[in-house]
Amino acid sequence: MTNKRETTLGLFYCQNVPVSSEQERQNLELKYGQRIRLFPIPCSGRLEPLHLLRALEEFADMAYVITCPEGACRYFEGNYRARKRVQRTQAIISSIGLEVDRVGIIVGSKDAPKALGELVDDILKRTSGLGPSPVHKKV
Amino acid sequence: MITAVQKPIDEIREMIAPYKKILVLGCASCVAECAAGGEKETAMLASTLRMAAKMNGEEVGFTEMTLDRQCVKEFYIRLDDVIDQYDAVLSLACGAGVQAVADMFQDVPIIPALNTEFLGETKDQGLWVENCLGCGDCMLYYFGGVCPLARCSKQLLNGPCGGSMDGKCEVNPEIDCAWQLIIDRLSKIGALERLEKIYPPKDWSKKQGGGPRKIVREDQQK
Amino acid sequence: MSDISQLKKVLEKGEFAVTAECGPPKGADAEAVLKKAETLRGKVDALNVTDNQTAIVRMSSLAACSLINTAGLDPVLQVVVRDRNRIALQSDILGASALGIRNVLCLSGDHQSFGNQPQAAGVFDLDSIQLVQVVRGMRDQGTILGGETLDSPPDLFIGAAANPFADPPAFRVVRLAKKIGAGANFIQTQCIYNLQRFGTWLEMARDRGLTEKAFILGGVTPLKSSGMAKYMKNRVSGMDIPDEIIGRMEGVAKEKQREEGIRICVETIQRLKEMPGVKGIHVMAIEWEEAVGEIVERAGLLPRPIVVS
Repeated sequence: MTNKRETTLGLFYCQNVPVSSEQERQNLELKYGQRIRLFPIPCSGRLEPLHLLRALEEFADMAYVITCPEGACRYFEGNYRARKRVQRTQAIISSIGLEVDRVGIIVGSKDAPKALGELVDDILKRTSGLGPSPVHKKV
Repeated sequence: MITAVQKPIDEIREMIAPYKKILVLGCASCVAECAAGGEKETAMLASTLRMAAKMNGEEVGFTEMTLDRQCVKEFYIRLDDVIDQYDAVLSLACGAGVQAVADMFQDVPIIPALNTEFLGETKDQGLWVENCLGCGDCMLYYFGGVCPLARCSKQLLNGPCGGSMDGKCEVNPEIDCAWQLIIDRLSKIGALERLEKIYPPKDWSKKQGGGPRKIVREDQQK
Repeated sequence: MSDISQLKKVLEKGEFAVTAECGPPKGADAEAVLKKAETLRGKVDALNVTDNQTAIVRMSSLAACSLINTAGLDPVLQVVVRDRNRIALQSDILGASALGIRNVLCLSGDHQSFGNQPQAAGVFDLDSIQLVQVVRGMRDQGTILGGETLDSPPDLFIGAAANPFADPPAFRVVRLAKKIGAGANFIQTQCIYNLQRFGTWLEMARDRGLTEKAFILGGVTPLKSSGMAKYMKNRVSGMDIPDEIIGRMEGVAKEKQREEGIRICVETIQRLKEMPGVKGIHVMAIEWEEAVGEIVERAGLLPRPIVVS
């Protein structure tokens, strides 16, 4: 009887959106347990393809990033760079046969900002069809 | 600088397939500048290869290391201490670096992860262009600082050809016609009449005449 | 076998010369060459044989010229610098002269990426102007590049190409001057549709005295269809086809377009005949060599002069 393992999402989120606190992060990790690992970063521009790749390599079935809306980045270009780097990562994982949607980007909304918990839900829903990553299958 | 791009991952995996303990070796010089083989890219490639190995049930280890340069003996000699631990080295250096390491460590397969491209400049962020052929007989003075050998698709010394249109080359409209650039440049410095003279055929012996080239400086030697 | 340059004789006599292109086949059949050349006998003074045009592999120009020469016609050996280094080029010049070929046209050649061998190494050891200079040195000084003396010098009427319509416009005449200075005896231009722009270029050439130093032959190409006209206008470098010409081609029914193309070509020739400094025409009817005879006849250029040495 195969144990249908739950998937793990690695989520890198810009600390400026959504407005969230360290407490909120801890609560979410308690709530979701192994299903999520949260990594706050000072700006999504700080994200490198390597972070996403390492996450996928070591523990994540999906690795996503949340950025500020266009034009709202505190450091001006961070969200733009994050988008390009996610695209590069998608090209790399695709080249070894991993589904492109295992990495992705969520752009925060200026008009209807969502709480971190809501965004986590959205992503889990969005990626629910993916299943465990072939990188972590039991040998 | 020397530019390079990473080989397709399938090609790399095919070359490293027989090996189990691989050193993924980056270079912090030219290939780091063109974002192909520096420490970051080395880490990314190693991570990607580990994932691919896991997905395919392959038992193989990848260790990462980056040298300041792979083309200078002073730097690559440091591999002496560690190379016994590996059965292959996947080098992210340019062709010069790969061969330098391969010449020193002849018992270990040194496999190139990159395709070396050209001598060129970082024209803008994320943009590198070829501008030098290494001909051994620099004529940039005569052509206003634009090399007609490296930048003219037909290496004309008395250009332009009939295919120059709107300042672009007939081979690819994204390429600037080098001769248009030369004419514009010499006009700017008031030296256009230089082009009325017929430039004689290039002396290619300075590049190929004696086989692979060498420079020796005794004043620099021990 | 002629062993004289009919083209040279006609031009030196002051007659309006006619040359046409005769492309070699994509094969080893000598008959194919002779058959095509035969359609031009009596219609032209000399036949240009192209050299792997568009970087597409064809029978060598040298071989085709030799066949044509043996048939009693006057070939113009086109030589591109794309495929051969200076050793091979000078060697071929000697060989051409030995085979009785008496005209050579020195060209850069289309880049190898355009043809059916895009992985080939482009040689470009000499450029077209240097080649003109080298051939002149072989003929007049009896020396090869570097100064070594030949046993017997080649005898060749030297030509080069000019494109009045390529960029940059002001520099085109400087390049023409360089080619003539290097030793070009005759010039064949890229095909002309924009007579006004050609006239401007010609005037600049006249002002520099170039029309007295070399024989300029205006290039013409009959348009087969409006599609061809538009293709050449938009996709071929160094071509200037005015909208008016496109309009004329589009303005007639499809079956009538060839006739219109010939008509435009004949009109162009008639205008060229009247331009001082133009000493002849060069008809490039690619894959339509049968049209050459009709064009030349309707332009009032037949019969071709018989020039005895």
